Amino acid sequence: MIKTNTFQNILILITVFAFFTACNQEEKQQQKYQNQIGDTPYNFNLDTKNFKLCDSLNTLHKRAYVKYKGGNKALKKELVENYKLQSQYKTYNGYFIIRFVVNCKDEAGRYRMEVLDENFNLANAPKELQKHILNLFKTLKNWQHPFYENKHYDGYKFITIKITNGQIQLV
Amino acid sequence: MKIIIKTLFFLFSALIFSQENCFIYPEKSPERKACELCDKAITYQQGSKESQLIFDEAIATAPNFAWSYYQKAVPFLKRGFLYEGLEILNNAVELKPLEYLCYRAYWYWQYQNHNLCIKDLETYYALPKAYLQFTPGGEKDMRLILGLAYAKQNNYKKAIKTIEDCIATYKTEDDIGLSDYHTLAILYIKIKNYNKAIETMNMQFTVNKDIPDSYYYLGLAYKGKLNFKEAKIQFNKALLKFQEDNYYSNPNAGFKAYKIDVETEINTLNSL
Repeated sequence: MIKTNTFQNILILITVFAFFTACNQEEKQQQKYQNQIGDTPYNFNLDTKNFKLCDSLNTLHKRAYVKYKGGNKALKKELVENYKLQSQYKTYNGYFIIRFVVNCKDEAGRYRMEVLDENFNLANAPKELQKHILNLFKTLKNWQHPFYENKHYDGYKFITIKITNGQIQLV
Repeated sequence: MKIIIKTLFFLFSALIFSQENCFIYPEKSPERKACELCDKAITYQQGSKESQLIFDEAIATAPNFAWSYYQKAVPFLKRGFLYEGLEILNNAVELKPLEYLCYRAYWYWQYQNHNLCIKDLETYYALPKAYLQFTPGGEKDMRLILGLAYAKQNNYKKAIKTIEDCIATYKTEDDIGLSDYHTLAILYIKIKNYNKAIETMNMQFTVNKDIPDSYYYLGLAYKGKLNFKEAKIQFNKALLKFQEDNYYSNPNAGFKAYKIDVETEINTLNSL
């Protein structure tokens, strides 16, 4: 009788352990794989609360459909004009890839940035420069949300900035 | 009609490039299994969790099977995760340089890293079994991209030679790409060889008349020869072409012209 109880307890323990291990693995998998590569959920530490997606379950991952009023020329002009070259950036070379979402009200948010060196390795650009580049994007106000197959969408976009000897260039 | 046939041909080429024949691998081999997994993965939406999970399973099944890495990398590269995408793609390039060097070079080109683009393409074309490869959209021979990359580094002499040599390898006029002469003509303008530029751009019109930029650059060539009357005619043609709904956008142009560039030239000539 005692032996049976001990066996039952061990079985229960194994079941409980297996259950929690499975949950943990599922959680890890959830962290590693997003529903779509590039999905950018709200992050309390990075994002403004006011920015909302119109349909968070159906955000378009087709960057060509997110446009800027006046086209690439206008976007380039605005970025170049607002970029302030500081003397400490003059030797800097590398890339900034800025990703964000434009919602159906043409507001932009959820900015994320990847900083790479000339050989596309992760890089440590000067913090001030990183902040400046990100702010350049946050001040752009003429985004146009995607209109795709006769439907309005929120849409993901990314823009690449190349810095050569401190000079900015839109890729 | 010629353009439609060529476009269909290029799209077909691009489709072939993106597919792998699983039957060339022995039955029950890890490569065959990985290949079949990739075939399954690409039935899901690109970049979806479902597809990524299957690509990872394929990689775990056959770590030396290059196609899994290539397929897994594509959505990362398309969505601005360049570092992550290249990390994955590098495995494919290492395993099968003949098949994937050009694709990586294409992304280097896209991100305007002309040094790395040239390095990969020079490596590729030095391979004994290098074959004809196109941009993923199928519209340009990769030798044009190599030429354009040289041009971006102001090495116009090498750029022109690369594209001239490329065109010379075509067996018939029908093999000429939709923007090959256009690209070459622009390079002649860059070195101020306006006569050759005009001659080459007129050859472009025998292949494809639908790039607005062609008329813009032809206008620039005439302007370079101080023939302002003809220059204005060409700029106006460019403007009209930009107003058409179905003009050819010429992807990977390298030297793109915009409507505002044309308008600026017309205004400048009007003020003379």
